[in-house]
Amino acid sequence: MNLAIDAIKKQTFDAIVVGSGVSGGFAAKELTEKGMRTLVLDRGKQLDHITGYEPTYKDPWDFKYNGLLTQEQKTTHPKLARDYPYNEKSQNYWFNDSDSMYKEEKRFDWFRPNIVGGKSIMWGRQSYRLSDIDFEANLKDGIAIDWPIRYKDIAPWYSYVEKHVGISGEALGLPQLPDSDFLKPMDMYCVEKEARVRIEKAFPGRNLTIGRVANLSEAKKAQLEIGRSQCQYRNKCNLGCPYGAYFSSQSCTLPPAAKTGLMTLLPNSLVSEIIFDNQKQKAKGVRVINTITHEVKEYYAKVIFICGSTVSTTALLLNSTSSRFQNGFGNDSGELGHNLMDHHFRIGASGVWEGDEDKYYFGRRANGIYVPRYRNIGNDKRDYVRGFGYQGGGSRQSWNRGVNDLSFGADYKESMTKPGPWTMNLGGFGETLPYHENKMYLDKTAKDKWGLPIVVFDAEFKENERKMRIDMLNDAKEMLEAAGFKNIRAYDNGCYPGMAIHEMGTARMGRDPKTSVLNGNSQVHAAKNVFVTDGASMVSTSCVNPSLTYMALTARAASFAVGELKKHNL
Amino acid sequence: MNELNRRDVLQQLAILLGGTISAPVLAGIRGEKTYHGISVEATTKQINIIREVADLIIPSTGTPGAKAAKVEEFIVRVVKDCYTQEDQNHFYAGLDQLNADCKSVHGKEFLEANATQQKEALTKCMLEADQERKANRGKKAPTPFFFMIKELSTTGYFTSKIGASEALEYLPIPGKFDGCMPLSPSQKTWAI
Repeated sequence: MNLAIDAIKKQTFDAIVVGSGVSGGFAAKELTEKGMRTLVLDRGKQLDHITGYEPTYKDPWDFKYNGLLTQEQKTTHPKLARDYPYNEKSQNYWFNDSDSMYKEEKRFDWFRPNIVGGKSIMWGRQSYRLSDIDFEANLKDGIAIDWPIRYKDIAPWYSYVEKHVGISGEALGLPQLPDSDFLKPMDMYCVEKEARVRIEKAFPGRNLTIGRVANLSEAKKAQLEIGRSQCQYRNKCNLGCPYGAYFSSQSCTLPPAAKTGLMTLLPNSLVSEIIFDNQKQKAKGVRVINTITHEVKEYYAKVIFICGSTVSTTALLLNSTSSRFQNGFGNDSGELGHNLMDHHFRIGASGVWEGDEDKYYFGRRANGIYVPRYRNIGNDKRDYVRGFGYQGGGSRQSWNRGVNDLSFGADYKESMTKPGPWTMNLGGFGETLPYHENKMYLDKTAKDKWGLPIVVFDAEFKENERKMRIDMLNDAKEMLEAAGFKNIRAYDNGCYPGMAIHEMGTARMGRDPKTSVLNGNSQVHAAKNVFVTDGASMVSTSCVNPSLTYMALTARAASFAVGELKKHNL
Repeated sequence: MNELNRRDVLQQLAILLGGTISAPVLAGIRGEKTYHGISVEATTKQINIIREVADLIIPSTGTPGAKAAKVEEFIVRVVKDCYTQEDQNHFYAGLDQLNADCKSVHGKEFLEANATQQKEALTKCMLEADQERKANRGKKAPTPFFFMIKELSTTGYFTSKIGASEALEYLPIPGKFDGCMPLSPSQKTWAI
């Protein structure tokens, strides 16, 4: 009897956080710093900060295949191998496809990290605030439902997380892209500086700035205190940074959480279900499968944060059925799994710069340039709604420029040891609308190796995105032309949902429980002690990279949750 | 996750490799799946020819060449594990053809020929590859052998320790970034 009570005590916490990526790590930090005994569960394997980043210590020549995939890897990872993030250098950070089964009614590229820290290790670190142009867009366009929050609700939380994380960038004062609390901007290449002047002159209203990035261009007290140091310009971020110079859960949120002494972090812990207490109309805990031993355990808490990343979060909610929630946890609206979104990209233009041959650069900048959205803003009206931004940058051609020339031998080799011409690329990232019929759901007849039903994707880009892509291609071309580039190549490499790894929606926020899963505080309408603060909660995508918004939403929700607990409202 | 890092890789590759690297290899570098197949095993003789050809493409100059960097090991491995079966067959057929042509023109197999004869044979191979490339324009055909081995030799060499740190300049930990500085006459291409 006592033993059983002891066991339940050991399995009981103030808060449970599912997932340890961008959102989960932030939830862990905020909740523990507010005095909550917090259990953090991640289905991935442990990845220790610094000592765990084995590939980062390798030089290019240490990679057996120079980063190429072997036929064997292509066989074990048929889906992941379709795209570039998975390769020899990063393979240990992703799930094997055999452990990450999913079905596609329409093609969807689902990238799933298999590590504590999740995609915060491999992310691209581009960090932008949403604006009221984004938060008001659905309402103004009469599309889907209105966001339950506005910029003023989240602005202080952007500032709060930015001061901790460290975002490098340049303030522009644009209404469509509010400035962050910036660390100093990174330098631009000569070609980018000149292109900026010419593009801004030729196209009033368009701006070209340095990327806003979660890398420490300078380390301030908040960062130094937790053992982080400034960027060394190695540009090997996605392998894990031994300097802690970019934001990851490992560098930035898990250490302060651990320091409180209140965090218990369990890797290899797959949450299969949220347990609902029908009497109290709240969640009482979660059921967890050990991914290695397959042992099942339950854990209990007053508050549960679901931060598993969009698709996994919603798969968990859909799998958590009960007499109260027969179609998935909190799914009174029927919207759970719907409105699946991602950005569309892989389109733009590049060109060659004649000049600046006497200029070079030092260091490898882990960042590019950014052209903020300018379409459908102010008096600009297109035949589609919303807009896009460009990421890209300059570079000087390298040794590979001569591989197709009719040459070999000493002269060929020697000429390749000197830098080639400057070039520049602009690649568009476009907003995707929330379509009810773009969805994910569970196939309960098919199970993965842990006995969980597998996810099915049924989502596609539509007319609005296709029309936008015409501008994304032509505008890139016309800007490079106006800037004086030669040999301009416009490209559209095609794009499927999932590829941008900005999957969003499927458990959206909203004011009305009849049309949304979460309220404006990121709480499940029908189970107030469950919070969802990752991409699943997004009501629209904006065209900017979303992770900074997840951090701000998470910190905001954690503060609210602890406040509500103190008021005995949860 | 986005972006720049992954995207940088993609975009910078696109710029860096812009129009120069063949589609299958670009796909391979990006990690896209292209083909599942059975691999061709290279004979010792073929490996020896690859070693000589790579060293003709990237000879020792003021810095060591392809032989010193063991580029043939890179080539054999990448062809075996990353090329499709069709490209593997095309590659080794091209290698054997180079050897046969050398014998018919100079009366000696490639490995027995002297440096001048080898260079002549490879030049002929290059010019024929250019004709083949022109004839194949707009058609779906494998990259001519010469351009395959030139791409592999160049990539293998400049990403080897010798190529990256002696022929090029490699900075493991730059520590700072300056985007616009004068290029000194002695400055070599950055390795990465």
